Amino acid sequence: MTDYPLSSSPARTGRILRRLLAATAVAGMLAASPALAQDAAIDADAVIRIGSLYEPQNLDNTAGAGQGISEAFNGNVYEALFQLTDSGDVVENLATGYEISEDGLTYTITLQPGVTFHSGDPLTSADVKFSIERVTAETSQSSRRNSLANIESIETPDDETVVITLATRSISLPYNLSYVWIVNDAATELTANADGTGPYRLDAWRRGSSLSLTPFENYWGEAPSNGGVVFQYFTDATALNNALLTNAVDIITAVQSPDSLAQFLDNPDFTVTEGQSTTKLLLAYNDRIEPFNNVTVRKALARAVNDEQLLQSIWGEYGTLIGSFVPPTDPWYVDLVDVDAYDPESARELLAEAGYPDGFSFTIDTPNYDPHPIVAQFLQNALAEVGVTVDINIITANEWYTKIYQAQDFEATLQEHVNHRDIVFYGNPNFYWGYDNPDVTRLIQEAEQSATVEEQTEKLAEANRIIAEDAASNWLYLYPQIVVSTASVSGYPINGLNSQFYAYDIEKRAE
Amino acid sequence: MLFVLLRLLPGDPASALISVGADASQIEAAREAVGSNLPLAQQFVRFVSDLARFDLGNSFVSRVPVLDEISARLTITIPLTLFAFLLSIVIAVPLGIIAAVRADRWYGAAISTVSQLGIAIPVFWVGILLVSAFAINLRLFPSGGFPLRGWADAGEALRALALPVLTIAIVMSASLLRYVRAATQDVLGSDYLRTARALGASFPEALIRHGIRNGSVPVISILGIELATTFLGAVVVERVFALPGLGSMLLLGIEQRDYPNVQGVLFISTLFVLLVGFAADLVQRLVDPRLRDRMGGRP
Amino acid sequence: MTTIADIPQAKPSRRGSLTLRVGLALLGIHLVLGLLTVFWTPYDPAAMAGGRLSPPSLAHWAGTDRLGRDLMTQIMIGSRIALMVGAGAVVIGALIGVTLGLLAAFATRFLDDVLAAALDILIAFPTLLLAMLVVAASESASLGTAIVALGIALSAIVARLTRILAKRVLAQDYITAARTSGTSWPMVVFKHILPNIWPTLSVNFALQFGLAVIAEASLSYLGLGAPPPNASWGRLLQEAQGTVYTAPLGAILPGIALVILVIGMNFLADGLRDRADPMRGAAR
Repeated sequence: MTDYPLSSSPARTGRILRRLLAATAVAGMLAASPALAQDAAIDADAVIRIGSLYEPQNLDNTAGAGQGISEAFNGNVYEALFQLTDSGDVVENLATGYEISEDGLTYTITLQPGVTFHSGDPLTSADVKFSIERVTAETSQSSRRNSLANIESIETPDDETVVITLATRSISLPYNLSYVWIVNDAATELTANADGTGPYRLDAWRRGSSLSLTPFENYWGEAPSNGGVVFQYFTDATALNNALLTNAVDIITAVQSPDSLAQFLDNPDFTVTEGQSTTKLLLAYNDRIEPFNNVTVRKALARAVNDEQLLQSIWGEYGTLIGSFVPPTDPWYVDLVDVDAYDPESARELLAEAGYPDGFSFTIDTPNYDPHPIVAQFLQNALAEVGVTVDINIITANEWYTKIYQAQDFEATLQEHVNHRDIVFYGNPNFYWGYDNPDVTRLIQEAEQSATVEEQTEKLAEANRIIAEDAASNWLYLYPQIVVSTASVSGYPINGLNSQFYAYDIEKRAE
Repeated sequence: MLFVLLRLLPGDPASALISVGADASQIEAAREAVGSNLPLAQQFVRFVSDLARFDLGNSFVSRVPVLDEISARLTITIPLTLFAFLLSIVIAVPLGIIAAVRADRWYGAAISTVSQLGIAIPVFWVGILLVSAFAINLRLFPSGGFPLRGWADAGEALRALALPVLTIAIVMSASLLRYVRAATQDVLGSDYLRTARALGASFPEALIRHGIRNGSVPVISILGIELATTFLGAVVVERVFALPGLGSMLLLGIEQRDYPNVQGVLFISTLFVLLVGFAADLVQRLVDPRLRDRMGGRP
Repeated sequence: MTTIADIPQAKPSRRGSLTLRVGLALLGIHLVLGLLTVFWTPYDPAAMAGGRLSPPSLAHWAGTDRLGRDLMTQIMIGSRIALMVGAGAVVIGALIGVTLGLLAAFATRFLDDVLAAALDILIAFPTLLLAMLVVAASESASLGTAIVALGIALSAIVARLTRILAKRVLAQDYITAARTSGTSWPMVVFKHILPNIWPTLSVNFALQFGLAVIAEASLSYLGLGAPPPNASWGRLLQEAQGTVYTAPLGAILPGIALVILVIGMNFLADGLRDRADPMRGAAR
């Protein structure tokens, strides 16, 4: 399965999480308190086996490796100047500090001293320049290429200093740099090898099966709490659950359905933790074309769908309703659930008002993996109630990418968007869903050039409200983010923000 | 033929390499890297000339040589196929003979009836049922996946293959059993067996000395076909049990439009089918002297 | 995954009529259920009438699925789809296969050898695998695509059998006589060959039917079959696999329905064979 950073398989959740919110574990769930794991002897040599559905396509995140590489390598094998923590804070990592010029256009960054790559080379500013330019290069396939496009120049006055000059202000620069791996500038063949500065080095990659990491002896920071990590890859969620049940893996990073949870919840051998999710399921229309270019039609369709019943069908007691594209953990969240709430009666009226008293018909291009096909059937039934006929066209992840994302040749599609802070997609009229509201575009641009976080938050909250009132897409629900592990391991990230899975703090008790 | 069929798949292979946010130049770069920007004819010439050198090319997606990946995955698919094949022979041959010789007893009839059931069950359903029974409820075997260190971890590897092997063997032995039973029945009705018995051989002795040799001839050619279909049919079983074998490589290749991988798998599979067919012919000739002089004896 | 087609039959003839009757009865269950769905189903198949995964009850005999749809209704519609797939695939497979097989039988020595070798390789590829490739090559999945794909995949088996049977007939003296006396080949085909090979072929078609039903379920299980809301048994099983702990019935009942249909067709084939070839049965 091909996965893209924004649109990926079930439950790979990116998420932001304020620490306070982290404490609000949902009732009925056993919240792990990993750091306080029982005294029992920790086996520092234990290899942690992590079960995942997201095998990378290759090992280079600028060569279209997919989200699986972020999961395995971010923070583990490669580090960045800044790190996005699991709780959503941007903290210094390979950078020890930075200064911003008066006009906000020049960032002077100092590097952590005494850092070496796995190959033994020391980290210098030239490596940093090389690494950033790898992402912004013509041939780079990084999804972050556009957000770093306003970098004008990178200078390296000495080995420990990097000076980045921007064309326009960018309040998210440290955040965006947290996606840029610092790679040894002498490294080659990065699609199959790795040379980073992280606490682990690559041991072996068995394609189609697993990827193993071993601790790096000369790591500049604190050594990992375990004896290594193995990512075991599965193509099927059921097989993954079964693997945990039969003790073939220690952790699964995201549970796919409430039904498989039942077997872990009432079993003391397992720990179930619910983190903060940013994965949004949405029915995206092609807002450029008839009838979806009509706000009234979009509002009618939003009112025709009972999101609460849908969420209950797919997730039982889990998950959250959302009224827009912004999850509660983003600072610019506003509760918009009541905007165009379920009301089939008024949906029919709006359709008549828009000139479709007898409804119309359209096709939903539906990715072939769970839960999309079943959600599409739900929508088909719900929209039939207001006279709108839906055809379901099942496509692979690959076709989704060519047909919808690239060619924008579709009427409507189902997709999950995992990243946090991705409201900015609505500010890009060329994005696949073609939502084009000049006010929103302007607000989102101004937000990025804000001088303060408060100003940025205010502008984005305003944009958020407009998008919701415009029913730009049909936001169905927010996935729950549930990590399950055997009871003997602790210390793992519970939010898996932006598909990352920092493994160095995981501990396993000796049996 | 494979080449043409594959090029009809919708979707550009390059897209598998590109992440969201790519612009036109990034896409062009990706197409160049995998060669999907070249005219079809040129791609075809490349393909044929590489094939002649037994170079199956590199994967569009991972850029790993196709042959490397195939050989890695064969370490799972070949044992899976062979174990399942041997197990079904062990099940089917004695049961098939019993079903024929003791057709008038209740157990003979029961065996025949159960084998009817076996050929009517889809293999993936057998897999689902076995997983729920043996992996989830009884926790005897892992439900899927293959150990990281592969066959270096022989015990675990065998355990991982237990349920998949059983799944294939159940379905395969059912149809094999029916061939064995039919072949035995033919032998039972034959003149030479009657002659042998008239000359004083006991029934089991006659059956073993004359029956098996004669009866095995048609069964061997069926065995060849069964072995080939098992090898290729592992697609579904590998999906159910999340085994990184040749079948899952094919399925993934189709989904990702990774033509070199798909072509490579089909090429190796065809080669395997031909080899097995040839081997079955050879064995048949060894067993049955009458066939030895007949060249290219196709029916 | 097995080529059931060539399984030699060995049922004693006195049980022949019994197998035929059992086969017809099992098939009949599905015919009745499947045809019934054209006019009536217990619930509207789309209606999300029950709760999420409710267990069997008087209102929902087989329980409901995740969306609260009646499972009995889905399984009944599955019958109809399976019958359509089986019949459709066999008709297409027969048209292509018989034509190719006859062509090979009549062809020159060289062409015949080539075709025979190609068919021998093709039949070693499981029906499912061939169908998978055909489906993958088509623009969009639909029930029609799946049926055509299966038909094409089956045609290799039919062609191989037709070729062998037709050659056997062609070798008969009276055919040679007819051909040398100038009877046109279409006459030979329709007057002599087809009537002669038809009994064996029709038995084979019944077996192919079962094969097609299994292959379609597997296609749907792999997500390559007819798109929803077509309630193919394979898709029902695939959807139920994830909820097998909370609602095991969903992963069992569609499988049982499928096995009943396929066994029914196989029995029917056995019965037909015994009737068409009583000598064979009597010999035992």
